[in-house]
Amino acid sequence: MRSPALRPAVSAERHWTFAQSILGIRPWSANARQTYDRAMGELLTNALAEAPAPALELDDEIVALGRRLARRSSLLRHARRAAQDRGMALVARDPQVRAALFRLVDVAPACAGPAELAEHLSAFLAGVERRTVAAVASRAAVAPGTRWAAGRAATVAVRAMAGRFIVGETPAAATRTLRSLWEHGAAVSVDLLGEATVTPAEGRAYAARCDDALVRLAADAARWPARPLLETDAAGPLPRVNLSVKVTALTPLVRAEAPERGRADAAALLRPLLRRARDVGAHLHIDMESLDSRELILELVLELLSEPEFAAGPSAGIVLQAYLRDAEETLEHVLDWSRATPRTPPLTVRLVKGAYWDHETIEAAQHGWDPPVWTEKVESDRCFERVTRRLLDAWADERLVRPAIASHNLRSIAHAIVYARHRGLAPADLELQVLRGLGDDLQDALAAEGLRGRTYCPVGDLVAGMAYLVRRLLENTSNDSFLASRVGGAELDRLLSAP
Amino acid sequence: MTTTFRNEPLLELRRAPERERLIAALAAIDRTLPIAVPVIVDGERRSEPSFASVDPGEPRRVVAEATAASPADVDAAVAAAGAAAREWGARSAAERAAALTRAAGHLRARRHELAALAVRECAKPWAEADADVCEAIDFLEYYAAEAIRLEAGPALVQLPGERNTLHYRPRGVVAVIAPWNFPLAIATGMTAAGLATGNGVCLKPAEQSPACALALVEALLAAGVPQGAIALLPGEGDVGAALVAHPGVHTIAFTGSGAVGLEILRRAAEVVPGQRHLKRVIAEMGGKNCIVVDADADLDDVVPGLLHSAFGFAGQKCSAASRALVHERVAEALTERLVGALDTLLVGQAQDFATDVPPLIEASARERVERYAAEAAAAGAVVHRTGAALLPDGEGHFVAPALVLHPSPDADVVRDEIFGPLLTVEPVADLEEACARIETQAHALTGGLFSRNPRTIEAFARRTPVGNLYVNRGSTGAMVGRQPFGGNRLSGTGTKAGGPDYLLQFVEPVVVTENTVRHGVAV
Repeated sequence: MRSPALRPAVSAERHWTFAQSILGIRPWSANARQTYDRAMGELLTNALAEAPAPALELDDEIVALGRRLARRSSLLRHARRAAQDRGMALVARDPQVRAALFRLVDVAPACAGPAELAEHLSAFLAGVERRTVAAVASRAAVAPGTRWAAGRAATVAVRAMAGRFIVGETPAAATRTLRSLWEHGAAVSVDLLGEATVTPAEGRAYAARCDDALVRLAADAARWPARPLLETDAAGPLPRVNLSVKVTALTPLVRAEAPERGRADAAALLRPLLRRARDVGAHLHIDMESLDSRELILELVLELLSEPEFAAGPSAGIVLQAYLRDAEETLEHVLDWSRATPRTPPLTVRLVKGAYWDHETIEAAQHGWDPPVWTEKVESDRCFERVTRRLLDAWADERLVRPAIASHNLRSIAHAIVYARHRGLAPADLELQVLRGLGDDLQDALAAEGLRGRTYCPVGDLVAGMAYLVRRLLENTSNDSFLASRVGGAELDRLLSAP
Repeated sequence: MTTTFRNEPLLELRRAPERERLIAALAAIDRTLPIAVPVIVDGERRSEPSFASVDPGEPRRVVAEATAASPADVDAAVAAAGAAAREWGARSAAERAAALTRAAGHLRARRHELAALAVRECAKPWAEADADVCEAIDFLEYYAAEAIRLEAGPALVQLPGERNTLHYRPRGVVAVIAPWNFPLAIATGMTAAGLATGNGVCLKPAEQSPACALALVEALLAAGVPQGAIALLPGEGDVGAALVAHPGVHTIAFTGSGAVGLEILRRAAEVVPGQRHLKRVIAEMGGKNCIVVDADADLDDVVPGLLHSAFGFAGQKCSAASRALVHERVAEALTERLVGALDTLLVGQAQDFATDVPPLIEASARERVERYAAEAAAAGAVVHRTGAALLPDGEGHFVAPALVLHPSPDADVVRDEIFGPLLTVEPVADLEEACARIETQAHALTGGLFSRNPRTIEAFARRTPVGNLYVNRGSTGAMVGRQPFGGNRLSGTGTKAGGPDYLLQFVEPVVVTENTVRHGVAV
């Protein structure tokens, strides 16, 4: 009978299955949103009342900068990327086709060949047969003569999409792209994709891959040309090599109800990685995942970095998710820790909106909990700006933690840049992060503007990367996505106005 | 009173303060042990402690000292229930529902304490113990709402000159024979169904969990259920047998083992002197639950799904998975990952939040698991266990979870319900072979399927004999109102607890047809 539903540790790459179920049952999703909105009405109203509006004079500057970035990135946009974007926008318009696409991409690595993929494709499209494009594809996938070709075409399409978001199958294969990004004014952070870690051996294998990547990337990066903007800020040198790691990939023992178990296990693997990063002069960034693992990850990282052997390095960082209602409390906790634990170089805090909104919302609904995330996107945007200002203040006033603002939302980015200028910070003192495949044009525009950017680059094979890919696709075609609405004129101004 | 139902929210155990509250509740309850559990008949308590329930993780710790019901207690309880049911059944469904809803409130107010009690008395891990309390609350509120809906009766065909009405009448006295593995939830579910529909109820809890049952009866009495309408009859099998054979009992609601269930069905069919009705039996019995893994499954989901279904609460759920039928293309990869993941399972005390596999309920259960594992190994299967050296010290009934690879398809280990942390893994050529193997089973309670092809899912769902099929998730954790629960074949009488037609088992439909024609005119 009943148990607390399924509560395996939700791994980094698995939250999208929940998102997918939302796509499958859209009316449920809409109802859920309404329910939360009602339940949270009072809280939201209070939060709205408390949200301080940014100073008006900054707002004009933010809009002007946003327009300039939009113009630059649209000028810089590659023609093929633009066509892909249009294709995705088209797909996103029809929820059923969108769901079919996700399911296809999701299952592709598990299929033994084109025929099997075609069989899935036709099953996914069975419900949307009246629509023209889908109908053609569906018929092709069923007919014996075209079945293999349809499956082959789908395989090629999936690989092409994966290639946009993933820079290489291995760190060695990725080095050319990474160097090219660096030469074009973008620092990088490498993320090693992988399947979920369910065994200790898988955790050890992931740690070994990370270690290997640190060594290889360090050797390679030593030969990159100098890029002063990317290499020094007010606190000192910034490592060229930057690796993002996931704690749920290090240990199979992540238990939301017993964070101490996973913490002890992950510490044993993370400590040698910190040493390696320190020894090769690299930066190690520990990603944040779903709320189920937040306490574990945060306490693990702060605890390890407090150890005397890491007092003088490596450079390390954590992630703060603005979509969490308690993001500001968490930041204060981190700032207090930084104040009490002086180390060089300072901790980097990457501020993101958060990629597990669907997961958090669904899990809360299924358990009868208040959602830990803001239910309205605009609330996340506001929180993002509040945390941005707090981070930049703490940096300008106390040099507490290095701020890294990670977003594709022009308003959020422009707000951070303008506020940093307002606080008298130099361009090198604000890092702006984008995702490979989604923020490339934006990254180019930031570089052209003389700003310091970093591109988050996933590395891994197609199977491992598929889940990451689906999440990116979801983002890129979500109705809430700023990217989905690349527009100009009055619409752009609306998107650039204060949230 | 409306009929909208929402599941009681689970505790958010990922937040440290919530965990601290539970630890404090356990410490508080430990100071009150042992709990005296009396016989309660017509509001009268009789205490002559004759047996005890103990902590399965520390058997020297006595949780409850209980008084076993005597044959005279059983007679008195059935008589009182029959008498009280006349008044209770005459009340409106809304009035009875209000009492059950108040009882739910009493449980809610004690939820931390009751979860701690389930941890102690049944070695139920915290998350599961909390879920057990929530499910008990859910049953009270769901059946309360359902009884109101049922009272309206269905529409009948009406023609000029006659008025046809159908209404449901309580059957009389319900004997509830409850298991220990959901010590609050299942006892509450069967009891609430009987009471909501206006019956009197005699509750015989499992001898392993009388203290949890006492909490339920106290909540019902405090909520205003008439004293005669609910009796607590602690004891062993003889108390249950006396209830089943009693001429004054109309309905028997049982959840437990198949052997006992079949015996109840046999005995209940005998009309004894003084009996003027046929007894009805609602029996939820065992399972031998299979999870099928197709070649296109996402193994990242399959591994945690299987582990949780097979080893959660040490496999002591009727819904627990005990066979994995895996497409041969992914069998090797999955087996390797399962074996590795098995080593991550922590066997420990239920009260430790880090524990994955708590002790079994009693020594005989541990012996049973060890016997099946040894027999499978002797017959040539590969048996993987987590290291026995990692088992906690002490006298608790701890057992290392086991994976049995490549068992013979007709071995006992793949036929019998073992009710412990043992999962067999059998490669199959395709889904057709998996279905064929499942088809030969006598049990059909829950099943699972991992597949990403909508056509496969549809075809499998049409073909499976099980009562509850779970797709791309674990096979346990049915929620009241969301997953009405119950098995087919020898797993049960086919009723669905927590579903919209469950209450029909506790009532008799009565149809009244009135001729409305007077002097040739319909009036």
